Amino acid sequence: MDIVFIFEWLDASWLSDLARTSAGLFSMVQAVHILSMIMLCGMIILGDLRMLNVVLTGVPSAVIIQNTKKWIYIGLAGIILSGIYESSAIAMKLATNSFFWAKMAGLAMGIIFMLSVRSAVYSRAPEVIGSNGSQSDPVDAWVVKLVAVAHLFIWFSVAANGRWIGFS
Amino acid sequence: MLLSSKLIALHQLRNISYLRSIAPQNIEEKTMLNELLFKFATWLDGFQSSTNLHEAIYAYGWVEGTHVLTLTLFLGMLLVIDLRLLGVAFKELPASTLVERLDKPMMVGFVIMLISGALLFYAIPVRSTQSIWFRVKVVFILAAGINALLIRNMTRASDMSWDNDPVPPKRIRVGAAMSLGLWILVVASGRNMAYDWWDCHKEMPHFMYWAAGCVNELAAFE
Repeated sequence: MDIVFIFEWLDASWLSDLARTSAGLFSMVQAVHILSMIMLCGMIILGDLRMLNVVLTGVPSAVIIQNTKKWIYIGLAGIILSGIYESSAIAMKLATNSFFWAKMAGLAMGIIFMLSVRSAVYSRAPEVIGSNGSQSDPVDAWVVKLVAVAHLFIWFSVAANGRWIGFS
Repeated sequence: MLLSSKLIALHQLRNISYLRSIAPQNIEEKTMLNELLFKFATWLDGFQSSTNLHEAIYAYGWVEGTHVLTLTLFLGMLLVIDLRLLGVAFKELPASTLVERLDKPMMVGFVIMLISGALLFYAIPVRSTQSIWFRVKVVFILAAGINALLIRNMTRASDMSWDNDPVPPKRIRVGAAMSLGLWILVVASGRNMAYDWWDCHKEMPHFMYWAAGCVNELAAFE
């Protein structure tokens, strides 16, 4: 499906005009994008490193994951909204940029993976990892750790591809 | 155009007269500091490896990418600690548990960020030294460091009777809010370094030339 029309529409929108003509506002939105990334990735790193038994070992993982959820969603909203604004300034360039598409693919994959696989597996973490008391139907510890590594890798690729858009 | 240039020059001359009238010795000392920094940056710029790093698309990109990505580890862990000290998240956990056990990953991130930041400075030493945003960033980093020391001293001096309280005492919350605010300013000023709004080759007030350390432009005023 050809979705270039979305980029053409964005390129011709008032948002694009604003992004191109307000350098000060644009730089502030860029800072918001980075700060949202810090919030999102920071909380993800904390949760995943906890499930890898690297940080906060022995602290119930359910408490960590539950507390990070809200901030992950805030970070995600910040990244998407500021990202749309940033994209509008160079919409037609991004339509053919490989790193942009790699980032978007990673972003979609990261969100789906986080809400489905990660959420399901972490809620069934065995006692040896979760420290949440005995579970009725726990998954193996290596499955939890594999999910944590895969999740970290996906979000690392999103951030790295995002950074590389600026160099391409 | 000529008129506007003359007006700008007149305005800048007024700035010089005003600055001289308030504290001439102080200004000379600070200008000397600018010259020292400029000499240091020029000396660094003379190394072939500095030019090579600047011109190497992939190496420079990886160093900058590492610098930005490590922010998520360092500031991510700091965010967790500060949110707990603000009493808005992780309230079920003792504050000391998060502070003590997230210290190591946070410092790992900080060291990598420091090394990659030093390499970025080494790649573009003169422009970085004469960037108002870089200077502002360094000031905010120092302020954030002092604030972190104050928070640490405050927590050590207290009996930590509030450790399990969902909301810590006001002075701790103020320190955590200041920490977050200062690091937000560090990130924002770091991001603005990419822009040339107040680079030395631009026309700007004399004060800005001085603040950015544009020694050649300042010399032209004399």
